[in-house]
Amino acid sequence: MHDLRRIEQFLYDEANLLDQPDLDSWIALYTEDGSYWMPVAVDQADPINHVSLFYDDRVMMEVRRRNFVHPRAASKDHPVRCSHIIGNVRLQGSRDNGDLVVTSNFQALVFYRNEQRAFGGRYEHHLVPSGDSYRIRHKKVTLINCDAPQKSLTIYL
Amino acid sequence: MPYTEEELANLVEPNRLHRKIYTDPDIFELEMERIWGSAWIFIGHESQVPAPGDFFTTNINHRIPVVMSRDRTGKVHVLHNRCAHKGAKLVDTTCGNARAFRCCYHGWTYNNDGTILKIPNEGGYDNTGFDLKDPMNNMQKVANCESYRGFVFATLDPHAPDLKTWLGGAIDCFDNLCDRAPGGEVEVAGGVLRYEHDCNWKFFLENLNDTMHPMVTHQSVVQAAQEYIATLPADAVKQRSEAEIIPPFGASYEVFENSGITGFKYGHHYDGGKTSIHADYSVQPEYWEAMVKAYGEERTREILSFNTHNTLYYPSLTIKTAVQNIRIVRPIAVDKCVVETWSFRLKDAPPEMLQRTLLYSRLINSSSSMVGPDDLEAYMRMQAGLQSTGDDWVEMYRQYGRDRDLGDRVVGGGTSDLDMRTQYAAWKNYMTRAYGTAEVGSHA
Repeated sequence: MHDLRRIEQFLYDEANLLDQPDLDSWIALYTEDGSYWMPVAVDQADPINHVSLFYDDRVMMEVRRRNFVHPRAASKDHPVRCSHIIGNVRLQGSRDNGDLVVTSNFQALVFYRNEQRAFGGRYEHHLVPSGDSYRIRHKKVTLINCDAPQKSLTIYL
Repeated sequence: MPYTEEELANLVEPNRLHRKIYTDPDIFELEMERIWGSAWIFIGHESQVPAPGDFFTTNINHRIPVVMSRDRTGKVHVLHNRCAHKGAKLVDTTCGNARAFRCCYHGWTYNNDGTILKIPNEGGYDNTGFDLKDPMNNMQKVANCESYRGFVFATLDPHAPDLKTWLGGAIDCFDNLCDRAPGGEVEVAGGVLRYEHDCNWKFFLENLNDTMHPMVTHQSVVQAAQEYIATLPADAVKQRSEAEIIPPFGASYEVFENSGITGFKYGHHYDGGKTSIHADYSVQPEYWEAMVKAYGEERTREILSFNTHNTLYYPSLTIKTAVQNIRIVRPIAVDKCVVETWSFRLKDAPPEMLQRTLLYSRLINSSSSMVGPDDLEAYMRMQAGLQSTGDDWVEMYRQYGRDRDLGDRVVGGGTSDLDMRTQYAAWKNYMTRAYGTAEVGSHA
């Protein structure tokens, strides 16, 4: 159970960086081959042969964090404030490469353009043990309404 | 009626548009009736209903539900999605396969071509004057439905010209899209993105060939990509090639000017032709080989050198031939619409071609991309700003007087407002029913 407590603490810390939002520190949590995926379909098999809402590797994360604070990105003129709650954290086992597979439920309130929106769904993290903590090899965010029409979402959840 | 035809005509001048066309709910309702109720509206692609019994549901405008259905003989129909009995929407899932359409309320059941199959306990209609043979007991067909190379269009106007006449010279872009497949056909693949836009539907269309905005609206993402690329060591080939998808969106005024805009009757237009911002995407070797095998080298070069950026089929569809994705717009209210992005597989092309298309759809057209949200931000600000009473007019003067009329098409500079003038000539003709009186029969 000690491991699970550490894992939960890591997930809360990660969510806190998105609440800020502090994308520079958040991206540093990812391994060099790390990726972030938000499918657009229920039970979507993969991010390559099907379109997704997000599928960023470190290259796109590096572009995105620079764009996020760029003074000429008009969609970023409006502040984004988030509040994440994570629960039902479960250690599901490990992958062949030793990565821990952790699933959890999340709810995130996002305030943007004078509107408060509620997102909810399931996280799947592939975590690489690293010293006292972890790094993220892969994070999959499955929204319960992933296949509904979406408004602009300019922040990772 | 809130507007006379003369008043509607006065909202569109050769170089100016009245702000009410974007903000007035009465204008919106008239657009739904006269533009969306007359034009050919894109419904779907035949590859979405490959087998008998397959169906796909959508709306033909902001509210009228229709179903595209393949019947037992293989014929594709577009039917009003309404039970002939009490009016319930018959099919309420997006797609699937059904032996018949059965109403959830009283069980009236229809064949896949819309004809009535079974009315339960029909003896109750004996000697009542109700005619069981009345064709009004079928699901009703839309006024007309035709397809071109698998792209299915429908119209609610029985007097609409045939689809090919309506497409005019813009039909070349459908040919080019399909000819880019070694197998000569395309099919829908890889899912759909649905993007909710809190703005009038016309802002999205106006942006397609608006080549004066990318270097401003998309400056941030282009610079972010360039700044990142500058940090890469020389051997970071993979990272560099991935990040280099983005900078073409910041192409110069000169590049866009040289790509040109071509406009057609009924409001269609495209930018590019000889060249476009997509022209420099590299050709994958296995794809090139498959194309040469299918068409020969000369024809392959000809197909791949026709490079359009966006082609609009006014008012519902825009396609990117060189990228193989399309976007469909559906209005909802005067200040609300949904834009869908679909991707296509080129038949007999290597799988990397579809993967490239999907990458493009995600990076450029997703509601979470770094391109689409900045476009939408501009549309929403126009929706808000045009509530201002400080000035009733929006201009579209760029390069006015320099458009060249070639008979079946009008061509002009890539940074001109030719696209706007083309769209609004059509808007005015539809709204004042001038197409009807002048050449396509009465719309009355």
